[in-house]
Amino acid sequence: MSSGPSKIAETIVGVFVPPACREEVLGDLYERYRSAGRYGLDAARTVPLVIASRIRRTANPQVLPMQAFALYEAFLGAAWFTNRAFLSERWGLPRLAIPTAIALLGLLLEDAYARPGARSSLQLARGPLFGVLFALASQGLLRMTDWGLALPSWILYYGCAFGFVLSSALRLLFPPASDRLQGISVPADWLKPAAAGVPKSRFLTLAAAVLLLAYIVWKRS
Amino acid sequence: MGQFEQLVLTAILSLHDDAYGVTIHSKVQELARPKAVSLGAVYVTLDRLEDKGLVASWMTEPKRERGGRAKRCYRLEALGERALQESAATAKRVWDMISEVWGKDWAREWGKRWGKEVG
Repeated sequence: MSSGPSKIAETIVGVFVPPACREEVLGDLYERYRSAGRYGLDAARTVPLVIASRIRRTANPQVLPMQAFALYEAFLGAAWFTNRAFLSERWGLPRLAIPTAIALLGLLLEDAYARPGARSSLQLARGPLFGVLFALASQGLLRMTDWGLALPSWILYYGCAFGFVLSSALRLLFPPASDRLQGISVPADWLKPAAAGVPKSRFLTLAAAVLLLAYIVWKRS
Repeated sequence: MGQFEQLVLTAILSLHDDAYGVTIHSKVQELARPKAVSLGAVYVTLDRLEDKGLVASWMTEPKRERGGRAKRCYRLEALGERALQESAATAKRVWDMISEVWGKDWAREWGKRWGKEVG
C-alpha cells in the first residue's frame, strides 16, 4: 500500500496552492494522507480557504479601491474617446464594470500567487498584465455566450491599455504586501501601510504615465 | 478575539515546540468537539493571528515522513499569551456569574453532564 499521495495528485493540488504556503500545506496534506479519495476531499476542503487567506493577506484594502477606480476610469475614458454613444446606452456604464472587476480579480490572484520577495519593479507590472489578460479573456467568453454584455472591441482594447498603464503606475507607488519581508515578529498588517520610503523614480513613473494618457487624450480630441 | 482564535492559541500553547498545521488541527478538533473543524479554517486563523502579532512562525527542515516537505511551526508571542490570559479571565468571570445566578449545584451537574456528552 502507498504511504503517500501520487505525484500527479500532489502536482495538481500544488498548482492551486499559492507558492508562499505551498511547502507546509502540501506537507500537512501528505502527513494526513489515508487514501486517494480522502486526500482529494481534504485538498478540496482546504485549498480554497488557503487561497482566500492568502488573498486577504496580500490585498491592501487601501490600494484596492484606488486600483478599482483607476481601472474603471480607464474603461470609461476609452468609451468616451472611441464611442461616446455607448455611455448613454441603457446598460453602458454597468457593462464597463465587468472587465474592471475581472481585471481586479486578476490583479488579486497574481499578488496571491506571487513568490514573496522574488519580484523586481519591472515585474510589478505583471499583476496589471494578468488583470487585463483576464479582462480580455472574459470578454471573449461573453462574446461567445451573450453579445449583450460584452464591450465593443475598441473600448475594450483602449480600456485595457489605459488600465494597464494606470494600474502599473499605482503598483509602483504602492507595492503589494507580498513584496516586503514577512517573518517572525513582522506581522503583515504592520507592513502594509508602508507608503513612506517610496523612491522618487516611482513618482516620476506615475507622472510619465499620467502625461502619456493626457497626450493620448489630447491627440484623440 | 474570537472563540476559534482562542482555541487555536490554546492548541499552540499546549503543543509547545510541536505546533504545526496537522497537530494544531487535531488539538483544536479535540477542544472544539463535538464540532468538526476543517484544516483550512485552522490555516486561515493562523494567518490572521500572525498578522495580528499574536503568534510567530518559522520553517523547519524538510522531513521524509512529509514527502520531503518542511513544516511551518508556530509559537505564541508575548501579545498572544496576554490575549489568551485575558480570554481565560473573561471565561472564568462568565462561569462564576452563571454559577452565582443558577447555583453551584447546577454548575456542578451541568459540568458533569457536558463532560459526559463530549467525552
